[in-house]
Amino acid sequence: MRETLRAALPSVASIVTSLLVCFVAVAVLRGGLEVALDAFLAMTWGAFGDFPKFFDGASSAVLLRPLGESATKAALLTLTGLSVAVAFRVGLFNIGAQGQLVVGALAAAVVGAAVELPAVAHLTLSLLAAAGAGALYALGPALLKRYRGVHEVISTIMLNWVAVSLVENWLVTGPLRAVTSGDNSIAGTAQIHDSAALPRLVGDVSRLNAGILLAVLAAVVLWLWLSRFTGGFEWRAIGANPAAAEASGMNVGRSFVSAMLVSGALAGLAGAVLILGTEQRYPATIGAPYGFDGIAMALIGNGHPLGVLASSLLFGGLRAGGTRMQLFGVHKSFPELIQGLALLLVAARLVWLKLSAKVLPPKGGA
Amino acid sequence: MGIALRHISKRFGSQVALDDVSLELERGERVALVGENGAGKSSLMNVLYGLYAADAGDIALDGAPVRIRTPADALARGIGMVHQHFTLVRTLSVAENVVLGNEPTRGGLLDLPRAIAEVQATCRRFGFELDPRARVDALTVGSQQKVEIVKALHRGVSTLILDEPTAVLTPQEADELFAVTRKLADEGLTVVLISHKLREVLSFATRIAVMRRGKKVAEVKPADATPESLAALMVGARTPPPPPPASTPGEVVVALERVTAGRLKEVSLEVRAGEVLGIAGVDGNGQRELAEVLTGLRRVEAGALRLAGEGRPLTPRQARALGVAHVPEDRLHHGIVTDFTVAENVSLGRHRLAPFAKGALIDFAGRLGRTSALLESHDVRPREPGLRMGALSGGNQQKLVVGRELDAAPKLLVAVQPTRGLDLAAVDAVRARLLDFRAKGGAVVLVSLDLDEVLALSDRVVVLYEGRVTGGFARAAFDERVLGRRMLGVRDA
Repeated sequence: MRETLRAALPSVASIVTSLLVCFVAVAVLRGGLEVALDAFLAMTWGAFGDFPKFFDGASSAVLLRPLGESATKAALLTLTGLSVAVAFRVGLFNIGAQGQLVVGALAAAVVGAAVELPAVAHLTLSLLAAAGAGALYALGPALLKRYRGVHEVISTIMLNWVAVSLVENWLVTGPLRAVTSGDNSIAGTAQIHDSAALPRLVGDVSRLNAGILLAVLAAVVLWLWLSRFTGGFEWRAIGANPAAAEASGMNVGRSFVSAMLVSGALAGLAGAVLILGTEQRYPATIGAPYGFDGIAMALIGNGHPLGVLASSLLFGGLRAGGTRMQLFGVHKSFPELIQGLALLLVAARLVWLKLSAKVLPPKGGA
Repeated sequence: MGIALRHISKRFGSQVALDDVSLELERGERVALVGENGAGKSSLMNVLYGLYAADAGDIALDGAPVRIRTPADALARGIGMVHQHFTLVRTLSVAENVVLGNEPTRGGLLDLPRAIAEVQATCRRFGFELDPRARVDALTVGSQQKVEIVKALHRGVSTLILDEPTAVLTPQEADELFAVTRKLADEGLTVVLISHKLREVLSFATRIAVMRRGKKVAEVKPADATPESLAALMVGARTPPPPPPASTPGEVVVALERVTAGRLKEVSLEVRAGEVLGIAGVDGNGQRELAEVLTGLRRVEAGALRLAGEGRPLTPRQARALGVAHVPEDRLHHGIVTDFTVAENVSLGRHRLAPFAKGALIDFAGRLGRTSALLESHDVRPREPGLRMGALSGGNQQKLVVGRELDAAPKLLVAVQPTRGLDLAAVDAVRARLLDFRAKGGAVVLVSLDLDEVLALSDRVVVLYEGRVTGGFARAAFDERVLGRRMLGVRDA
């Protein structure tokens, strides 16, 4: 327990510090503490539900609507964050979550629109197609790493642009473009069938959908795998000391490949959640760099699946709530600034560990 | 006049690296420092170069005491050192490397044309043929070493220390190096050569200082010395170690037939149950490759390896399955995961087997029980299975590694430098475990650079020199002098 606390401390301290710094920044730039307080409260209610209004007698929609937006964003962040984190744990840096997300999203859109099946089967098939596409897209870099020693940072980052160019500059505007009716020419693929959509959890009041459940499930499964299974133990050992892992008889190359496949599958699933939960088709462009946000979530979450989940829930919420800060003259991308600052501070991990050694002295001590 | 090191002592923890060593270096002299691994040659020169702070003693330059705290201090006083492992930036040019740390600048930026001109001048002055514009990683090892030397000369050093300079060179490159350095010495440069290649020492040096276990035991002129006499001085007259109780070797556990792998050349040997086979040799003569072949970490290129009557192991996993345990040379790198707990480290290698696993799941209770028992039986402190491995002392880490490997009930234990860097109590504990394992019928391959250790523990000793077996001795025939000569590649007269 104590060790868990010590491990989480740098992340928590970084987030708190960046919130404080940004609070001060708003106060200075927007003319006073009161404005800053109002803006931050607006962001909080926008993120986690407008409780003051609710207790004033408003309908539950004032809670469910913001929570739905937050959960939608958090689901994407969690899945891409887990994708990066799982590669991290075997010592690989998968910068390719964005590309894997794009191919996963496309696979989900195609299977969701082209196939007709009963509801549960269709959704399952679409999700599997997305996970498979993402995994397949990560397989190349994994094999290059295993057999040719090609650094995965280089190969995955290059494949990001390949994916975006192939999908958004060609497939979505060309062969896979939805049939246009009359003058209504729209880029993007055809609308998916309802049977493939992620079910909404609270009806039409909110966009809250089952994607967040999938994300939470993925985080818990990954956590159990890493902490309870001998296979997960091998992944962690390889990430912590590949030479010792090899000397103790582990197959390092094979674990690289399997972890990259899981990593790619998780990013692909994120693409599926985006399409099947929110967009309902592959739009002209996905735009938002959820794959790169995944790197931030993995780092702020310290590579721990539950840490990734926690930081994704927080930043998913802040981002959804950030739009409400516009009322106070604060740009809606402000939460991304908070996220970036938190990431910067987490990178100063050694400083936090030194500080935390004073607050929570390690047992035994060397 | 020159440099005088006076009564230098240096300890690392409980180990004495240098014990009251004095050495004088006259201007223009070519002094060789010889001795076994760990005799203190490099330590002494590292003190002179400011890398180590001496615990006692002082250094005098032309009769006046000086304090040398850092390599920068040493360079400022005209003392330069070329290490065995080069300190070059491989992607930079020769000129950039040479001026690094002392760059000519213009407007705060590197003045590359001037740097090239300066380096060219230095090369010309000392007779080095080097292209200042060439990238270092495009050069041969011999040329890279020249860059290191030019780097020192460019700083205007008057004393140059060369630490095992020929270890990485071909014979032709070595000859060239000595020709150049001899010329530099004729022009007044003081050269210190650290080496254990006795022939090159005898042909190059004007004076030879012999070190043994942290002490300077002799100074001789090359004219009064032979490779045999130097080897005898280096090894010394040892008191024969108390022999372990005689063993009755059983069946052959592992056999190598003309195995070639990396530096290892056509090595044939066999190890039987219930015996310790010691591998003696100077560092870098194929011992590491031998251990890697036995543990599956290195592929056999030619020849055959038979383990317990079965085919040769291909991977570390297969080697372990056939009953090979490994106490690796570099504990932190190959033996343990410092960020894991003690219990997790105990399970390494057997993490998929009972009592460490139940099916695909980790068996936390079983792991804890086995770890606690092992901490107790091998006296590892503190007895906390949940502690981070990195928090243990080196001796306790090693006791745990030895305990873990023996706990797997192996047939063969490959122990490489198992007591290096440990305090005396831990050394005794580890050695006792090895002999205990042998008494129970285990086979041990002991690789150690410490000849005393090899002789104290082994039933038989095989000497490796340049990857080949240059001698095999049964316990009754142990003779340090003969062994020492074989280790240094000196043929019997």
